[in-house]
Amino acid sequence: MNALLREPARLKRSPVMRLQRGLWLFLVPSFGLMTLVLLWPLGYAAYLSTFDYYLGSREMRFVGLANYAQLLGEARLWQSLWTTIVIALGSVGVEFALGFMLAFALYRLTFSVRVFMILLFLPHIITPVVATLFLKWILTSNWGLIDATLMTFNIGPPDWLGDPIWAKICVILADAWIFTPFVMLVLYAALQALDQAQIEAASIDGADSWRLIRHIILPSLAPVIVFTVSVRLMDVFRFFDAIYVLTGGGPGTATETVTMYTYQLGFQLLQVGKASALGIITLLIVAAIIATFSHILQRGYGRSG
Amino acid sequence: MKTRRMARMRNQALLFAALTIFTFINLVPLIWAALTSVKNPADAFTIPPTIFFQPTLEYHREVWFARGFLHYLVNSLIVSAGTVLISVPIGSLAAYGLSRMQPRRASPILFGLFTIRMFPHMLLAIPFFVMGSFLKMIDTYPLLILALVAINQPFTIWLMYSFFLDIPRDLDEAAAIDGCNLWQTFRIVILPLVRPGLMVAALFSLLLSYNEFLFALVLTGIKTKTLPVAIASFGGEDVSDWSISAAGAIGIMLPIVVIMLFVQRHLVRGLTIGAVKG
Repeated sequence: MNALLREPARLKRSPVMRLQRGLWLFLVPSFGLMTLVLLWPLGYAAYLSTFDYYLGSREMRFVGLANYAQLLGEARLWQSLWTTIVIALGSVGVEFALGFMLAFALYRLTFSVRVFMILLFLPHIITPVVATLFLKWILTSNWGLIDATLMTFNIGPPDWLGDPIWAKICVILADAWIFTPFVMLVLYAALQALDQAQIEAASIDGADSWRLIRHIILPSLAPVIVFTVSVRLMDVFRFFDAIYVLTGGGPGTATETVTMYTYQLGFQLLQVGKASALGIITLLIVAAIIATFSHILQRGYGRSG
Repeated sequence: MKTRRMARMRNQALLFAALTIFTFINLVPLIWAALTSVKNPADAFTIPPTIFFQPTLEYHREVWFARGFLHYLVNSLIVSAGTVLISVPIGSLAAYGLSRMQPRRASPILFGLFTIRMFPHMLLAIPFFVMGSFLKMIDTYPLLILALVAINQPFTIWLMYSFFLDIPRDLDEAAAIDGCNLWQTFRIVILPLVRPGLMVAALFSLLLSYNEFLFALVLTGIKTKTLPVAIASFGGEDVSDWSISAAGAIGIMLPIVVIMLFVQRHLVRGLTIGAVKG
């Protein structure tokens, strides 16, 4: 975001200025395509959300806002929202705790940082579906690595993916496995951009690692952390691959997030109108998150950034 | 002085050891899958799990040739290549335009792009599917490619924008004084300078489209199914298919590891665009 704030003051009165008008033309292909393929379908979804419409049926009955009213009165929607929040807070918490520890360890390490970086980053960069399958083969009851190992010691393991609470924990861990490297990388980059002189001065003054982190490092990382938390929170509303592969939203609806519920409505029950309404509701929630965090960022750090 | 150096070396050694242990544990799922993919059934389900065994490449051969994954690989390559070939050129054009505009005009557009990037994809998948059905385009390459290009645009534009910002404006001015029009300035003077950026954008777009699951799941069918969709629906429950499934998963992962070695220097820029300075 800060790139936006860089002021190229010399731009005015330059010969380039005369050509400014033509610059709009450069945006046409990309923005034309996005209008056609993103905004038009978005409008169409809003339109569909006012109809009682099953995919494949000939009839489309206009129902106004009835789909929204029906959804908001449904226990399943509120439960899926709650599940989304639990998964979001759980995974973002784990990712930041672990991500910061890793970033700080790499920041302090003086050799072979790049090798660790690549190895630690693997879970994030491989296909999410594949990454989740790797985890599933560890967690599957009886034959998974964990169960097989535990049973060697005659310990009866819980049904990781079949128990409502464990299934939630597994989904959180899956999200954390895939996204901790991302948080680690962002924080590592931010650590490297810190003012070295300030840190050295504090070290010489006798500040130990903990005080250094608490009083100097964390405060200066705050803008990056706020930004990354907001990105991750919004990501949770797109988080689909891992849940689809790991639990399919089950057992029952224990790991059914809003996204999973929309998928069920639209592509399993084929209630396209209602699914579109739920999609629009999700969009409003995400928009609220974006508005909140951009407000925080602008108020708190805009001028210093 | 000497004790301080000793303490420092000891700290480094401890740090190294801790990171090594964590990294290993963190990669156990991946290592386990890799081992499963080269184990005979006799070795695959012994308790406790075996570590020493006679490896076989039988399952890797089977998944690609007998189970149709070669076909899905071709689909994945067509879709990814199509996406990159459209996404990077039009994204670069837009990024150049934005990077040369006055910031007070470019900022809201860039923020709008950031918002689009955060769209819940599920919301788009529904109308895509309905419109695709009307147009009889489900299970065709162009539909999926269009969808992927569109959702990749914000990222590509942001990334290329950061590369164009690094090119001093003096060059544009010099070119303008020498009589280049905007297009010539872009094509002859600026574009050759961001060639590394184009490469990075291409590789990241390739990665995003190769890994994409949701749109591929709802917009493809038997003919155009991509690798992630194929592996997700492959013998999930049947334990006896695990070795084949693991071979497929490892195979899908390998090209990504190679790409990663190319882009690793640019990872920070690619994945944290906007999060950190620059």
